[in-house]
Amino acid sequence: MIHWVDGLTHGFSIANFEQMILWSALTIGFYALMRYVHTRISLWWTTPLIAAPILLIITMIASHTSYAAYISGTHWLILLLGPATVAFAVPIYEQRKLIRQNWLVLTIGVFVGSTVAILSSWGLATLLGLDGSLRLSLLPRSVSTPFAMNVSTVIGGVPELTAVFVILSGIFGAAIGELMLFRLPIRSVLARGALFGMGAHVAGSHKAYQIHQDYGAIAGLVMVFAGILNVLAGPLLAVIFQRF
Amino acid sequence: MTPARLARIFRYKLRRSRLLQLLLITCFWLLGDWLSRTLHLPVPGSVLGLFILLALFATGWFSTRNLRRGAELFLAELLLFFLPATPAILNHPEFLGWTGIKVLIVILAGTVIVMIVTALVVDACFHWISKRQLIKPNNPEEARP
Repeated sequence: MIHWVDGLTHGFSIANFEQMILWSALTIGFYALMRYVHTRISLWWTTPLIAAPILLIITMIASHTSYAAYISGTHWLILLLGPATVAFAVPIYEQRKLIRQNWLVLTIGVFVGSTVAILSSWGLATLLGLDGSLRLSLLPRSVSTPFAMNVSTVIGGVPELTAVFVILSGIFGAAIGELMLFRLPIRSVLARGALFGMGAHVAGSHKAYQIHQDYGAIAGLVMVFAGILNVLAGPLLAVIFQRF
Repeated sequence: MTPARLARIFRYKLRRSRLLQLLLITCFWLLGDWLSRTLHLPVPGSVLGLFILLALFATGWFSTRNLRRGAELFLAELLLFFLPATPAILNHPEFLGWTGIKVLIVILAGTVIVMIVTALVVDACFHWISKRQLIKPNNPEEARP
C-alpha cells in the first residue's frame, strides 16, 4: 500500500491514467480549497488536514472508489514526503549555531520524548484492553512515517496501520501544539520546537515552521533524531515488547 | 569554459529558478534512496539525502541560499503530501467501532503526554545547563513572534 521506500520501483505502474489525473486533481483541489477557506474561517475543523480528507472520503464513497484505486493514482503525492524531508536540511543548517550550542539538551529531549512516547502508547493500549499486533503497531506512533513503518515491521506490528496512526498523531499534535505553547510554562526556543518535533513529527514541524522559522528548524532536527534513535532501538524494543 | 565558471553559472541559474531548486532537492532524495537500498541501510533515503545536503552545506561549496526558495515551497505544502494516506481508514472498517475509539484515545492522550513531557524536560535542561555554564546562551528566551 503505502511504501514510499519501494515506491520508486512500484509506484508508477499506473493502469488508468485518467483516474490518476482525476484523483490527483481532486486531492490537490480539496487541499487548495480548504487552505483558502481556512484563511477566511479559521476554525479547527476547517484545517486542510481535517476537512480535506473528509471531503475526499465523501467523494470516494459517493463514486464507489476503493482506496486501492485511489492510492494508485495519488501515490506520487505521498512520495513527495521524501524530498520534503530533505528540504528540512535548509532550516536545520541555518540554525546550526543554536543546535551546536544545545546539542546535549536536544539529545536528552529526544531520548526522554521517545521513551515516553513508547511507554505511553504501551500503557494506554494495555489499559484499554488492546493487545497483539495492534498494540505493537501503536508503539512507534511518534516518529515520522518512514521510520515508524520500519520500526513497526521489526517489532511485529502492521506497518500500514502504523502509517495511519502516525498521521493521526501528526494531525492532532500540530492542531494542539499552538495551544500548548500558550498553556505550558516554557519559554526557550528549544522546548517550543522540540514539543512539535517529538509529538507531531512532520506535520508538527510544518506547523512549528509556520509559527517561527527557528521553531521549525529545531522541530525538524528533533524529528529526524527521534526517527534515527527509534530505528536503532527497534531490535531492542522487539525483544522487550514481544515478551508481554 | 572552465569548471569553476560552469559552477558559477549553475549556481546563478539555480538561485533564480525555484523549479530547478525543487528538482535538485528531489535528486538528493533519489540519491539517498538509492544509497539506502543498495547498502541495505535501516535509515530511510530521505534522511540520508538530508545528511548529504547538510554535509554539502558544511563544505561551503554550496549555500543554503541556492535552495531556500525550493525548500520553502516543499515545507509550506507539506500537508498536501499526507492527504492521500488518510482515506486508508476505508480499508479498516473494524476501526469504525469501539476499537477505533480506543485507538483514537491512545493516540490523542499519548500525543498530549509526549508533547508536555518533552517540552518541560527540554526547557528544564536548557535552563539548568545554561545556569551551570554561567554563559549567556546566544539564543535565550525569545518573545512570541
